[in-house]
Amino acid sequence: MKGNKALYWKLCIAGVVLLSVITFTPLVMPAGVSHPMLFGMPRTLWSSILIYFGFVVLTWIGTRVYPGSDEEGGEEA
Amino acid sequence: MTTWLIVIGGLWLAMLAVFSLRSYRQTETAHDYIFAGSSVGTVIGLMTFAATLFSTFTLMGMPDFFRVNGVGAWIFLAISDAAMFFLVLGFGFHLRRKARERGYRGVAGLMSDLYGTRWAGYVYFAGVFLFLVPYVAIQVRGIAIFLTAIFPNALPAWGWSTAIVTVMLIYSEIGGLRAIIYSDTLQGTILLVVIWIIGVSAIHHFGGVGEMFQEVRAVDPKLLSTPGPQGLLTFQFLVASFFAIVMIPVTQPQVTTRLVIMKNKQKLHRMAVSLGIFTALILLPIIAIGMYGAVYYGQVPAREFLSQVLLFEQTDAVGAIVVIGLIAAAVSTSDSQIFALGTELRSLLSGKEKRVMFTTRVAVLCFGLAALIFSIITTDQLVLLARVSFAGTSILGPLVIAGIFAKRVPGMELIAATGAGLLIFLASLLHLIPDMVGPFRLDLLLLIVLGVFALVDSLYRTRVAGEAVLGEEEAV
Repeated sequence: MKGNKALYWKLCIAGVVLLSVITFTPLVMPAGVSHPMLFGMPRTLWSSILIYFGFVVLTWIGTRVYPGSDEEGGEEA
Repeated sequence: MTTWLIVIGGLWLAMLAVFSLRSYRQTETAHDYIFAGSSVGTVIGLMTFAATLFSTFTLMGMPDFFRVNGVGAWIFLAISDAAMFFLVLGFGFHLRRKARERGYRGVAGLMSDLYGTRWAGYVYFAGVFLFLVPYVAIQVRGIAIFLTAIFPNALPAWGWSTAIVTVMLIYSEIGGLRAIIYSDTLQGTILLVVIWIIGVSAIHHFGGVGEMFQEVRAVDPKLLSTPGPQGLLTFQFLVASFFAIVMIPVTQPQVTTRLVIMKNKQKLHRMAVSLGIFTALILLPIIAIGMYGAVYYGQVPAREFLSQVLLFEQTDAVGAIVVIGLIAAAVSTSDSQIFALGTELRSLLSGKEKRVMFTTRVAVLCFGLAALIFSIITTDQLVLLARVSFAGTSILGPLVIAGIFAKRVPGMELIAATGAGLLIFLASLLHLIPDMVGPFRLDLLLLIVLGVFALVDSLYRTRVAGEAVLGEEEAV
C-alpha cells in the first residue's frame, strides 16, 4: 500500500506540474483572444478557473495518498 | 453611517481586547506567546492562514488589478495560490519533521542549524526584513488612503497609519500569536461576508455573468484576455509572479510558522484543501467587483473607484462593515508579519529566555515603527508593491528548500549566492542596474539561477558524501 501511495503521490505531482505548464500556454492564455466563451465567461477566465479546481482536486487527492506519516517520522516524498 | 461605524468598530475593538486578555491569561511560557501552544486545528488554521495571506492587497488591490488589467489577473493570483496550497502538503510535512528533529524557534534559527552556520540565519533574516517591512507598509498605507478618501477632514493619512500601527502593536504585544490568530479568524469571516455582498450586488446589477462580460467587452475587449489593456500580464510576468507567490509558505515566516504550529499532519492537509475552497470563495466575487469597476470607473484613480464601489454605493451598514473589514484585514496581516519578524530575530538570539523575550518585544515595536515610516513615504500601487515583496522574499526559496529537503545541505556557497541575489534584486529596484537581462526579467532569472545552483550543489554534496562513505567502507 505504501508503494502505491508513493506512486499516486508522484502522479499528483506530475498532474500539478502539467496543469501549471498548461496554464501558461496559448491554450489558456492566447494573446488577445477571448473566444470561445463558456457560461458567458471569456476563454482565459473559464479555462483558468477549471485549472484552479483541478489543482484543488489534486491537493485533495494528495492528502489521501501522501506517503509520509507524522508518527513514523515519514518517508521521502 | 457614522452610527454603524461606531457600533461595528466598537464591537471589533471590544473583541480584540477580549482576544488579547484571553490569550494573555492562556500564555504561560515564551513558547505559548510565540507559537500559540503549537496545537492549531483545521478551521482556525484555515482562517489564520487565509487572513495572513489575504490582506488589504486582496480586498483593495485585486479588484483594482482586475479593473485595470482584466481577467488575466485570475492567473496572477488564483492559479499561483492553488499551486501554493499543493506545495503546502509536501513542504509542510518536511518542514514539520525538521522542526521536530531540530527544535523550532523560527525559520532563521532553523536555517542556522541546518546549514551549520549562523550566516544562513542572518541572510534569511536580512531578506525577510528587507521585503516584509515594505509589505506591512503597503497594508497600512492601503487602509490609510482609503480612510482619508472617506473622511477627508478627520485625520491625515499618516494619522490613520499611526492609529492602525498602535492598535496592532498593543494587542499583539499583550496577547502574542494566539491573539493574532483569533483576530485573523474574525477578519477572515468579515472579509468573506463583505466580498460576497459586494460581488453579488455587482453581478445582480448587470443581470448575470454573461451580461457583465458583454458590457466589459463594449468598454474594452482587451480586458477579456491576456496581456490585458496595459500589456502587463505577459507570459514572463505571470510565470515570475507564479514562482514568487508559490514560494510564500517557504519564504515568508508568518506563513511558514503557521504550518509548524498546526496540531498534526492531518490537520495541516485538511487546511490546505480548505484553503483551496476558501480562496475560490474570496477571489470569484472579486472578479465581479473588478469588472464592475472596469465598466463604470474605468478612467478614475484607484482610490476613487474603491471608495465608490466598496463604500458609497453600499448601504450604511454594509459600508461600515467594509471599513471595519478593511482595517481588520490590514491589521491582521501586518501584525502577523511584524510578529514573525520578531520571532525570526528571537530565533537568532541566545542567552537567558527573559532577556531574549524582552529584546523580541522591543524588536517587534521597532519593526512596527519602521513599517509606519515606510507606509508614510511609499506609493499607492498596492498590488505591484506586494508583488515586489513576494519576488524579493522568493529569492530565499532555494536556500530554504535545500535546507529542508536536501540529503546533504549545501554550504556557504549557496548562502553567499542568496545574499548576492538579494543585493542584485535590491539594486534593480533602486534602478542602479536594469531589471531586464536581455529578454528576461531579472527576478525570474535570479530565481532560476539560484534554484539550479541549489539543486546542483545539493546533488554534488550528496554524491561526494556517498563516495566518502564508500571509501571508508573499502578501507575497513
